[in-house]
Amino acid sequence: MSAATPAVPTVPNLRAERWRLRIRSARDFGRRFSRRADGVVGLVILLVFAVLAIAPQLFVGPLETVTRASGAPLQAPSSAHLFGTDELGRDLLNLTIHGARISMAIGFLATIITIVVGAIIGIVAGFLGGQIDNVLMRFTDFFLVLPTFVLAIILAPVILDVIGADAELLGIRATLLVIVTVIGVTSWAATARIIRSQVLSIRERMFVDRARVIGGGPGHIMRRHILPNVVNLIVANTVLTFAGAVFTETTLSFIGLGDPFQPSWGQILNAAQGSGAPGLGAWWYIAPPAACVVLVILAFTLVGNALDDILNPKSAPRR
Amino acid sequence: MGGRYLARRGAQALLTIFAIVVLNFVLFRMMPGSPERVLLRNPYLTQAKIEQVRKQWGLDKPLIPDQLVAYTTSTLSGDLGYSLKFRGTPVTDVIGQRFWPTILLIGFAEAIAIVVGLAVGAYAGWHRGGVGDRIGSGISLVLYSMPYFVIGMPLIIIFASSFGWFPTSGMLTVGATYPGLVDRLIDFGRHLALPLATVSLGLIGGYSILMRSSIIETRSEDYVTTARAKGLTDRRILRSHAFPNALLPMVTIIAINLGYVVAGAITAEVVFNWPGLGTLTVDALSARDYPILEGVFLLLSITVVLANLAADLVYGLLDPRVRA
Amino acid sequence: MTAQESAPIGRRQWPLPRQADPDAPLLVVDDLRTYFSLESGTVKAVDGVSFTLQYGEALGIAGESGCGKTTTALSLVRLLPGNATIVGGSIRLMGIDLVPKSENALRRYRWREISVVFQGAMNALNPVRRVRDQIAEPIEQRLGQSPEAARKHADELLELVGIPTKRGRAYPHELSGGMRQRAMIAMALACDPAIIIGDEPTTALDVMVQAQILELLEDLRHKLGLSLILITHDLSVIAETCDRVLIMYAGRVAEEGPVNEVFRRPRHPYTQKLLAAFPNIATDRRALEVIPGSPPDLRNPPPGCRFAPRCPAAMTICTEVVPPELTFDGVRVACHLYRADGDGQPVETPTLATVGVAAAPEPAGDAAGGAA
Repeated sequence: MSAATPAVPTVPNLRAERWRLRIRSARDFGRRFSRRADGVVGLVILLVFAVLAIAPQLFVGPLETVTRASGAPLQAPSSAHLFGTDELGRDLLNLTIHGARISMAIGFLATIITIVVGAIIGIVAGFLGGQIDNVLMRFTDFFLVLPTFVLAIILAPVILDVIGADAELLGIRATLLVIVTVIGVTSWAATARIIRSQVLSIRERMFVDRARVIGGGPGHIMRRHILPNVVNLIVANTVLTFAGAVFTETTLSFIGLGDPFQPSWGQILNAAQGSGAPGLGAWWYIAPPAACVVLVILAFTLVGNALDDILNPKSAPRR
Repeated sequence: MGGRYLARRGAQALLTIFAIVVLNFVLFRMMPGSPERVLLRNPYLTQAKIEQVRKQWGLDKPLIPDQLVAYTTSTLSGDLGYSLKFRGTPVTDVIGQRFWPTILLIGFAEAIAIVVGLAVGAYAGWHRGGVGDRIGSGISLVLYSMPYFVIGMPLIIIFASSFGWFPTSGMLTVGATYPGLVDRLIDFGRHLALPLATVSLGLIGGYSILMRSSIIETRSEDYVTTARAKGLTDRRILRSHAFPNALLPMVTIIAINLGYVVAGAITAEVVFNWPGLGTLTVDALSARDYPILEGVFLLLSITVVLANLAADLVYGLLDPRVRA
Repeated sequence: MTAQESAPIGRRQWPLPRQADPDAPLLVVDDLRTYFSLESGTVKAVDGVSFTLQYGEALGIAGESGCGKTTTALSLVRLLPGNATIVGGSIRLMGIDLVPKSENALRRYRWREISVVFQGAMNALNPVRRVRDQIAEPIEQRLGQSPEAARKHADELLELVGIPTKRGRAYPHELSGGMRQRAMIAMALACDPAIIIGDEPTTALDVMVQAQILELLEDLRHKLGLSLILITHDLSVIAETCDRVLIMYAGRVAEEGPVNEVFRRPRHPYTQKLLAAFPNIATDRRALEVIPGSPPDLRNPPPGCRFAPRCPAAMTICTEVVPPELTFDGVRVACHLYRADGDGQPVETPTLATVGVAAAPEPAGDAAGGAA
């Protein structure tokens, strides 16, 4: 076998080459994801709920209110009302599907805050290191230790006072914006920690040093080198954070921080509890919102785990 | 165990507690939801009266350092103020009454969850891919996705309303008299059963999933291969080698999780009308009874910090590498 | 046999069963095949490996990373990961074939007949248990001794390898690398095995400690009449410690024979390249030889001789027919350069002096493959 003289590869268009690589890895990712039954099931469930959440009116018409109740109070499911009615006579199918919009929207906004804050703190702390890292991590650990749920309960009325009860953003009322803020403020710590450790391990790697030698400033390095490698972790973490956000929002609404005029699933359950549904055996009041909450959280968890397994191959191989 | 290790962790805990006290102060005095606003809401108070109350409460002094110092000293000496809703009952009294039901609920639930959750998780992870694993993990995943009250409400409907095996609410039957201590305990037990089941199931979901991952990681460690090479039985390898090592990260997780258990317990208490800190908090929330909220926050935070400290100590007991 | 005449310390607790033929080897591995099933295909990690091990003999298995030496050794005790299976061949320990045995039946042979000293004892020892207790564990569990007797026995073993009893009470992280490896050796001796497999036992250690460990192994081997299978990529270790050497490449045997013979007069081109890659104080060589290319993908190994793509002496037949194993002067070699009817001299002398250049000569007037 004769040794060939290696030819210098000509790559005229680096950009196009990069895109080709991206498309190929995306297709590869798609293939691997489709192999995970649990991830696919989760994704399907999420898509269904996303569709319901975007335009609930298409499916059940406008949200029923006290004045626009369509049935008699606390009716068991019938052909007229598939999920029965609540104590005000409102159709529960209607409420549940509209609830999807509220719950998902709140979860979405809260997740954005959590991820953005967590990622910024995590990347900055991990990359700059030293005293800044120390201080930031002390701060983060403090938040990790705090029973943030109780903190959330306390912050809520305080923030409500600040915003004012009538504010509205993107069609979401103040009360719910408070929940969004509260979840964001109290959940970022875990994300920050996870991202920081990833940044630390990337920082050790050679190419960052080389970028420095070439003359890249910290901002440039953070953006072009560290961020792309952390993105995988952030994506998986985002999905799981979303699950947590829906979880927390449901709980906060349940204990009374929700908005009766824009009822999320947690708020519906709050009303159910308040009207004595469990004691009365009015299972139809509880089952639909409860089932939806569980399904959505489960779906996010399944997708998040699947993403984590695929994108972050640190887990031990099949043995 | 190293005394220095203990001292260091203890000092950190104290520092954290101090930070919590300060945070408490910041939240309630500096934020808009201050006692002043609360006062101003009352339409019956004249301006003069308001001034008098302000002076009485020391609100006319500058925030820092006077109010902060005053707040800190009074807090650390056990004076947490007076409840707004309960008309002048000291916060410490109100909280004291509700403290034990919550501790009992959480304590028993953690005990059950740790035993069952870790066992199920270890088994599932060890026999990964087997039938037991798939069923166990499936159930755990679903439980993990359910907020505690979502677990509780169906339990009430099925076991209390329909079957009538357990009461639907409260800690003891209202107005009941008990011939003896045993009867009282039985009634207590019947009321405790469903809330306990709720919190336990919620915890088991999370613990078994995490323990499963831990065991799976441990399984691929070299010392497990060595144990297999030694010809030990599968059972012995799990018991003596894999489990003790897989347990270590779980200790940390259980400690970190305490904040969330508190949250879950609050919602479970609401569902079952269990007279603990949870229902107290929710009621105080709707009544905007800030002193109570402050007090509960302080108490729960300190408890969690102390529990974390205890967990660190336990970890030191279990892992000799840390004791150095 | 030397085994029967062991010294009192570590005396055999039961006599080795007699085989029908008193001169039969302790271990006979014949045409062993172990395959891994991956998502991307089946990796033929060990594909027809045969060798024997005599009582009291030290066999070194050498080769590049990934050549299958560890898999071969672990197949002996079936310590394979979940996706690996022994698909063919036989492993006869004292005449008993271990391959068809069930997991439970095989378990009885582990540690009592064959034990393993792993590389990097830091991870191979349980970090939360005391070293002494880990050594006592197989004594208690497998030999049925009481816990106290087992602990005493463990202390004796620790003395044997040069670790004072007090240090034995320590946890693994409290010992130095060398001491941990000694502890692993003591543990391997616990049930008085016939064979100890050392999987790169000295790779993670510095040279001084390495020498000590090797000396210890030698000492114990002669004292206790153990047989040793030493897996390493470091030929100097094999030269020091072993009686015979087995050179593996890409899942197959390239050459095998007495250490002196093979190292003095390597026959297989791969062996020659391997030896040439090692620095040698005695010679004048300036540049270390590098073998161009990389080992083949074992999901789709090349037909014929697996070394052919990188071999400087490759002939057409090498890419078509698997070379037969022929023995000359006690050295077994699998290479088409040698003919069964030949005298042990290669048909063509491969050139070693240059890097990256391989002649591909046509054997003069020969179309059919080498005789088998």
